[in-house]
Amino acid sequence: MIELASLSNLTAQALGTFVPAILSDATSNGIPASIAAPELRWAGLILLLPVISAVLCGLCAAMRVKSKLPGLITAVSLVASFGLTLWLFLSLSNADGPVAARTVHLFDWITLSWEPTHQHAATRWTSVTAPFALYIDSLTLLWMLFVTGLGSLIAIYATEYMESDVGKGYARFFGCVSIFLFAMGALVMGGNLILLYLGWEGVGLASYLLVGYYYTKPSAVDAAKKAFIMNRIGDAGLALGIFLIWVNYGSLEYSALFEAMQGAGADGASASWTREAIPYLIMLGAFGKSAQFPLFTWLPDAMEGPTPVSALIHAATMVTAGVYLIARLYPLFELHPHALETVAWIGCFTALLAATIGMAQYDIKRVFAYSTVSQLGYMFLGLGVGTSFGAVYHVFTHAFFKALLFLCCGAIMHGMAGQLDLRKMSGLRNVKGFGIISWTFLVGCLCLAAFPFSSGYFSKDAIIGQAFASDNPNFNFLGWVAVLTAGLTSYYAFRVWFRVCGGPTKYEAGDEVHSDADEAHDDDHGHGHAPAATTHHAAEHWHPHGPRIAINAVLLVICAGALLAAVPAYNAMSGGSNWVQRMVAHSSAFEGAQLHDAHGAEHAHHALSFTGIQDVHTATSVVASVFGMAGLLIALYLHLLNRSAADHLRNGLLSNSLTRWLPIAMENKWYVDEIYHWTFRVPLWALAHVSHFADKNLIDGVVVNGVARLPMDLARLFQPLYNGVLQGYAATMAGGLALILAWVFWIWMQGV
Amino acid sequence: MTTFASISLMTTLASTDVMTAKLTIIAPEILLFIGAVVVAVLGLSRAPAVRRSVPLVTSLFLALSIAVTAYVYRLDAVYAANVPMPELGSYAKIVIAVIGILLVMVGSSSVDRRLEEAFDSGRAAFDPIRVMRGEYFAFFLLALAGAMLLASTSDLIWLFLALELASLPTYVMVAVSRGTRRAQEAAVKYFFLGAMAAAVSLYGFAMLYGATGTLDLIVMKAKLAEQTAAGGLSALAVLGGVLAILGISFKLAAVPMHFYAPDVYEGAASHTTAFIAFVAKIAGVLALFSVLSVFWTSEGLPATLTVVLWMVAVLTMTLGNIGALLQRNVKRMMAYSSIAHSGYILIGLLAGAAAGGYQAALFYLLCYGIMNTAILAVLASLERAGEEVETMEDLAGLRQRHPILAWMMAASAISLIGMPPLLGFFAKFTIFTAGIEGGQTTLVIIAAVNSAISAYYYLQLVTVPMLGTPNARTEGVHTIPSAWPRYAAVLCGLGVIVLPIGVSSLVKAAAVVGSENAASPTADSSDNQLNAR
Repeated sequence: MIELASLSNLTAQALGTFVPAILSDATSNGIPASIAAPELRWAGLILLLPVISAVLCGLCAAMRVKSKLPGLITAVSLVASFGLTLWLFLSLSNADGPVAARTVHLFDWITLSWEPTHQHAATRWTSVTAPFALYIDSLTLLWMLFVTGLGSLIAIYATEYMESDVGKGYARFFGCVSIFLFAMGALVMGGNLILLYLGWEGVGLASYLLVGYYYTKPSAVDAAKKAFIMNRIGDAGLALGIFLIWVNYGSLEYSALFEAMQGAGADGASASWTREAIPYLIMLGAFGKSAQFPLFTWLPDAMEGPTPVSALIHAATMVTAGVYLIARLYPLFELHPHALETVAWIGCFTALLAATIGMAQYDIKRVFAYSTVSQLGYMFLGLGVGTSFGAVYHVFTHAFFKALLFLCCGAIMHGMAGQLDLRKMSGLRNVKGFGIISWTFLVGCLCLAAFPFSSGYFSKDAIIGQAFASDNPNFNFLGWVAVLTAGLTSYYAFRVWFRVCGGPTKYEAGDEVHSDADEAHDDDHGHGHAPAATTHHAAEHWHPHGPRIAINAVLLVICAGALLAAVPAYNAMSGGSNWVQRMVAHSSAFEGAQLHDAHGAEHAHHALSFTGIQDVHTATSVVASVFGMAGLLIALYLHLLNRSAADHLRNGLLSNSLTRWLPIAMENKWYVDEIYHWTFRVPLWALAHVSHFADKNLIDGVVVNGVARLPMDLARLFQPLYNGVLQGYAATMAGGLALILAWVFWIWMQGV
Repeated sequence: MTTFASISLMTTLASTDVMTAKLTIIAPEILLFIGAVVVAVLGLSRAPAVRRSVPLVTSLFLALSIAVTAYVYRLDAVYAANVPMPELGSYAKIVIAVIGILLVMVGSSSVDRRLEEAFDSGRAAFDPIRVMRGEYFAFFLLALAGAMLLASTSDLIWLFLALELASLPTYVMVAVSRGTRRAQEAAVKYFFLGAMAAAVSLYGFAMLYGATGTLDLIVMKAKLAEQTAAGGLSALAVLGGVLAILGISFKLAAVPMHFYAPDVYEGAASHTTAFIAFVAKIAGVLALFSVLSVFWTSEGLPATLTVVLWMVAVLTMTLGNIGALLQRNVKRMMAYSSIAHSGYILIGLLAGAAAGGYQAALFYLLCYGIMNTAILAVLASLERAGEEVETMEDLAGLRQRHPILAWMMAASAISLIGMPPLLGFFAKFTIFTAGIEGGQTTLVIIAAVNSAISAYYYLQLVTVPMLGTPNARTEGVHTIPSAWPRYAAVLCGLGVIVLPIGVSSLVKAAAVVGSENAASPTADSSDNQLNAR
């Protein structure tokens, strides 16, 4: 009990403390006005470097460079980009003052203006401007730091991981990664919503290209199309949302927009449906990109792409763009409390749904894919219950530990010839060369499971604690769901680790190859490329081999990052301030960070009061830790100590007719794909065939061809006149002449 | 009355000055006439090198005439020459000479090619009676000189003579362009029907003289304006106008005087087809400018003339386009295409100078000259077993063997449809906007529908060479030894693609027409038009 009390003090400081000085520094209306900063034009290089790298990679592809040059170019330019971001951050952050928002105008991009007309009320605004400008505030910097940082590390990792494709898809791969980094940069740093949309589409394109990287594999092509199409649904919402923002607020540039929104909050009364619809449309965009229910099914399939892509795009950066979007437009969402509540419900539901699916998958990459969906759900829950700090902090910690988990999966896949089935691998920690993988993997799992005092622990509890701290009973319910989900998360994370790394050493080679033709490689340099049964390597001669320096080093660095991501929280515990919280507090997501404080330590009555702990965050962390440890222990028993018990449990559930649906439904992902197939795809497919039939036979057949026949028939009618006989021509000409003259005379007769 | 008196006074008193001025502004034509003589003599030389230099010399004279035009039209003499549309020549003559140079390139080696080969190989002895090349290019320059003279017409005699000068050489050119019976048959048809059309227009001119008692266009315009003011044009004048327009419409290949076009275009060699398509059309348009400007008042054209021209325009574009639908012979198709384009140009003439219609028509002629020459230059570049390539079947899969030619043909055909961003789009756009400005919206809609119909046959010129598969018949298709037609095709094709960049200055430069005779200020309307774009 004494221990618990000291723990409560510590966590209260870590999670609840907010330095008032920082608050008072902010301008009265919440968002610091942005300062034009032409001296920061060099920040444009952060975006330019990936573009240059993409062009060079394209050149390499065109010139069929057969070396690792494209990887090198990309790695160097991304590291330089990260260096510049770091420099930008250091030059803007001073000791204790806030990072005020800066606007850096690079060049004019879209500038339209027109004369005002007073006829239509809708044409109140007389211009649309979207300069190619950067909006740099602390939220931008926070995001760019981990985007470029992880981007650089993963590019370095990929230089080794993709080496079997050197001379084939290598340059294409790195070209797409460079495009992605540019687009993500434009999304995050762009100073207006048009530029954000450019980046939004750009990351979607890069994701499509990279998911479909193995384009000879039908499943990869299908996954790429699925990702693209599901994202289009969200993007349509975002585009409509941007249109309506312009219609209602008259600007798309953040600085002007936030001012307009504060005005809108004040008058309050003039809420039209177009204004009410904005947050829901924006939300649709965010849910598409960040794989939330109902648009989440593309993300697990996107794991068809190379693993570094899964780590970078589909775990750490791109999928958090939805969180960024809502955090960036937080002032907008605060005008619509019901919209925020919707975000919370959807996020929480997705978190639970994806966690239950993740529990029953056997493919380790898929487990972590559903885990990503689930963790993104947490982030939206955080945004919805009003802690943008919790959400952003979870984005930050998740970026590290999930990238780490994916890179570990990739390294295992690389060394085990594409093996990803957790039933076919065991005890890898004892296999030569897999030591670093196993232990960094464990760190990743601990963070994901929110093991006490890991980085995931602090960030997740910030979200759940806020849910419990809320006066809204709905949010308290969501908090309980989130706690339950935390237990499930812990279970499925350790299910993977205990199965794959724990237990007796036993493994089978996978049959998947990274590249199409591996015959040229031999054991000395055919790293990880599947001596599949079809190649000349006999299965008995195959040995798993551990990764080399690039992969190991990157794993260690990201592992360190995942551990260090907890440092801001420790800093807060020891009386300082949480760096992430400080960053969020000076951005447009400011209000969410403040809310968090308002319901802080002194909140006496909260949903967890029954535990006898005064502070809601301490109570949360205790309860969530209990659930988490329970999940861990169940995983320990079922997947390490007594593996047959897991099978007994499954068989037991299956044999009982009342419970058999549960494991089946979970393994089949709750049949969401099938439901979509029957409710959307099949009706649309049928409609398409009906339309096609109508188009072919009715429109084309009757209308178009009918009209088209007319000139042809006329042509046939007149054809005999051109018979080639001179006299005939002369007579026809004279006849035509005579007709015209006769007609002129007739007119005269009429007229006179 | 006073204007008329003062003008006639001026004409009589300053007649010597006027003569000098007239001779000054026809300096380019005089130069081409000298060129014709030089070329005719050179063509008779025994030395093959001299005979071979004939196209080059022709081009040089054309290039010189461009320079002379550019110089002459900066002089004050232009306004002293007593011409209804004094500045017209500065654009029209340059367009004629520029397209002329391209046409020389297309036809440079075709005339007498077999004969020259026979001389070279020693199978035949040189015989000045049999060589035709010098003669052909002399007629070529004479016809161009005739077309240019139409841009500086001051009276009906001049108009008629220039029209005939632009026409008569082309009859001979068709006959000698290739040594086949079909060419001779085409030439005979062309000649007889041309003579008939000339008779019609001459009859019309005579009636105009009868109605006004003058041949001078400026005086005639004043007389007709007087008649209008006094209660309406005389029947004789209107009938004269109708006959003159219908006679001249033979040059344009406009309905009902269009029947010759398919046979003649098909019968002539490809390079001559390109020549008559362009030169006859610009000659006809320039002649119509003169005739119509006489009738034009501040209220526009007399109603009868408007209705006749309107009907002619509609019938021309419609019959032209539907006639082309069934053609498998590319040259015949281009003949109908030429008819259809005349219909579009008539929109500009109906819209009038004030609405920018004449300007648009002149610009359209430039674009049509380039696009049409590109297509026929591709045909002229190819041969199959010594015969001209004419049918669609011969072009199947051209891209696989001669990609550049196929691309140029595709670009030009798409441009002829009027697809942005190619040249043909801007040509149609300019003439359609002028038509709307001039109150001819219905006509513009009909023209737009016609453009859609035309896509059917123009797209065959894209799909067959680009996507078709070569067959046994196309195996024998080769380029001819001379590269000049190919260069011309590439130049024209690139022009179709590149010229849209400078299109606004090209249109602006054409705004020289009818600055004097326009009832309302031309400059304003053309400015508006440019601003609108």
